[in-house]
Amino acid sequence: MRVTNMVPDMQYAMQQSQQALSTAEEQVATGLRVNQLSDDPSASANLVSSLAQSANVDQYTSNVTSLQSQMQMADSSISSIVTTLNSAITAGTEGANGSVSSAQRQEIASQVQGFLTSVVAEGNTSFSGSYLFGGSEAATPPFVAASTTYTSKNGSVASPLSATTALTAGSVTTISDATTGETMTFKAKAGNTVATLQAAVASAVSAGTLSAGTSATINASGQLQIGSNNSADGIVVGSNDAALGTMTAAANTAVANAYAYVGNSSVNSVQIGDALSVATNLPGNKLLGSGSNVIGSLGSLITALQSGTTAEIGNAVSAVTAALSSVSTQRMPLDNTIGQLESQDSYLSQEKVTLTSQQNNLVGVDTADAATTLSQDELQNSAVMAAAAKVMPQTLLQYLQP
Amino acid sequence: MASLSTSLNMAVQSLGADTAALQMTNNNIANANTPGYTREVADFQEVSVTSGDGMSSGNGVELTGYQSIRDELLQRQIEQETTAQSGANAQQSTLQQIQPAFATTTDDIGTDMSALFSSISSLSTNPTSTSSRQAVLTAGQNLANAFNTASSTLTSQQAGLNTQVTQDVSQINQLTKQIAALNPQIAEVDSTGEDAGTLQDQQDQLVLSLSKLTSVSVTQSNGGVTLTTGNGTPLVVGSQSSALQTTTGSDGMTHVLDQNGNDITKTLTAGDLGGTIQMRDTTIPGLSTQLDTLANQFGSAINAAQAAGYDQNGNAGQNFFTIPTTVSGSAGSIEMAISDPALVAASSDGTSGSNGNLTNLSAVQTSALPSGQTPSDAYASLIYQVGSLTANANAESSATAASLLQLNNQMSSVSGVSIDEESANLITYQQAYEAAARVVTTIQALFSTTMSMGTASAA
Repeated sequence: MRVTNMVPDMQYAMQQSQQALSTAEEQVATGLRVNQLSDDPSASANLVSSLAQSANVDQYTSNVTSLQSQMQMADSSISSIVTTLNSAITAGTEGANGSVSSAQRQEIASQVQGFLTSVVAEGNTSFSGSYLFGGSEAATPPFVAASTTYTSKNGSVASPLSATTALTAGSVTTISDATTGETMTFKAKAGNTVATLQAAVASAVSAGTLSAGTSATINASGQLQIGSNNSADGIVVGSNDAALGTMTAAANTAVANAYAYVGNSSVNSVQIGDALSVATNLPGNKLLGSGSNVIGSLGSLITALQSGTTAEIGNAVSAVTAALSSVSTQRMPLDNTIGQLESQDSYLSQEKVTLTSQQNNLVGVDTADAATTLSQDELQNSAVMAAAAKVMPQTLLQYLQP
Repeated sequence: MASLSTSLNMAVQSLGADTAALQMTNNNIANANTPGYTREVADFQEVSVTSGDGMSSGNGVELTGYQSIRDELLQRQIEQETTAQSGANAQQSTLQQIQPAFATTTDDIGTDMSALFSSISSLSTNPTSTSSRQAVLTAGQNLANAFNTASSTLTSQQAGLNTQVTQDVSQINQLTKQIAALNPQIAEVDSTGEDAGTLQDQQDQLVLSLSKLTSVSVTQSNGGVTLTTGNGTPLVVGSQSSALQTTTGSDGMTHVLDQNGNDITKTLTAGDLGGTIQMRDTTIPGLSTQLDTLANQFGSAINAAQAAGYDQNGNAGQNFFTIPTTVSGSAGSIEMAISDPALVAASSDGTSGSNGNLTNLSAVQTSALPSGQTPSDAYASLIYQVGSLTANANAESSATAASLLQLNNQMSSVSGVSIDEESANLITYQQAYEAAARVVTTIQALFSTTMSMGTASAA
């Protein structure tokens, strides 16, 4: 073949060599074999789901860390409750002793009252602004001191509310009963009136949600009055109905040692793995309310210590002992979850390593290979340059010069 | 009968032939690096023999002309390969600019999608946290922005390609006009029996430039070169060129029309124009549709999950994203529908502390969209497609570059100027010239001797 001009070949060879060198340098500098999608489209596509899994694992780990603090705080509260209940049992047992004087019993009663306050305070523990034992009603303290009577802000003698007063559609009125441990929730629909609410309260009494004797009436001041005719039955009423206005406890109607649970029974769960979720809260009604009867049994113990017989005190102590047992039972799933969080944390760490390794296999470069390739490409590039420098100046004219 | 005068004439004729050959060599050397130049060789011919007195004698040499050494078949192959390379380059260039918008390592759709689900998961640990709710909104905004950016990259590339179509057509018209103008000039030179080397070189170069823009079919005839597009639309016939026209179609894109006003856009599939049209009308719309479908279906799925829950105020969840009712344009116009953190519908029962509906929102990540793929898989498919298209265009461009180099080497082997060869020719013609000049000197001496013969006898 007749060769006339070697420049295009040389240029092509240099271009190819420099491109290879540039690729090798980029791989060594970035540590990546795939720097653009076109370097390996299949690996790039697989990387998408791998990175998504990594992001999930990172978030699960973060969730675990966050839940560990929350769970430990809940566990710590329950631990305090257990200690307090044990103290109450000890005090109650002492009070049940026939040799203890009436004055000493009154002293023990006030001591137990302190225990009750302490238990309620633990029940109202919050973490990062959320109450741990309020179910999904996490914005307000779940245990509220109960009163026999609540009245509406709206309504007066001059402008009284009546059975025909229309309620605001969509508004919610709740009545939490400290005795039954239940909550009646009334959501007003269009066309509902005070009479509808009154009927709903009557139905709730019939159903046992509210204590017998609880009713909703219009008082002499023209306000809506919700309450019980039994001085021992306390309730807590809340409403966001603009027609009624804020519901507040009437003066001097507080029921001693009675606390209503205004939270709910909802249990939130949080994902800590692709197919693993854990319950993150223990509703207070189960832990301290009607479920375990912690508050009720402590209230009964106080009453027994104040005015009961030794036998009645003994029975009340037994009830507190049963409540303690119930709390311990309730605590077990929480402790299990804490253990689960610890093991999941270590699993996620391993998973993270596996995914990182997978990503490295997909798009990463073997450093030794990359360095060797770079070295070879440098050598080749030098050879191409040297060949070009040697060949290109060679012409016949050079030899013909005198 | 042989005479000194005859010999002198032969020597002078030889000097002229060698001078012309030297000039041709000089021209070859001067154009050694001129693109498209075809080397010429001197066409020496022996002058007819003279017979008389029972003997024949040669009458020297004459230069009948120069001959360009060309290979039409190779030229056509180079034109075809140039068309293929330009088409691949046009696609490669566009795809390389689209590719970064879909990178997997930075702030792309996939990363932002993961970030949105992470923020939702984080919110589940504390559903009343305003900062966690705000993080969900921020992640949603980032994702909408990523969709908008990717869509805008595709749209702006398409607009740039549309402008390129007009420019290419304008260049094609200019080139066909120049090619047509050369046809009668070449025919005229050919009719004299001379070699139209320089004009032919110019025309070949113009056809090569035209091949970069679109696929052309070349036919040689007496009237010169006839050019048609790949589908037979005439571009050059004799001294006439047919200008292509452009018009804006109902799709808002520039369409190419032949001289009769027929839309030939779809038939232009090769060269820079073909590659540009292919990218503008097929590749980019395909990617856009995939992106729009993902944005629309993902946005709808998140909105549906929102609607299943309640916001922090206890109201039914509103739309999270605002998306158009049609799929087309979804990626470009998707935006956040809410800006109040309280409106994230985390609750499943209307209470502010419930996180039940976040399970529905998180489930979008692992549930199949109407397209049949999870959002992540749908995005991975898009990534694969962009990467694969770019890789193919890169490979096509490299392959045609190598092939074109080989063809050009072959052409150079036939038509290229070799400086070494021309240097040797230079010496050859120089020596021939010197020899002929020596003949003249010798004859001059002989004449002098002859003339002095009488003078000597007179003395």
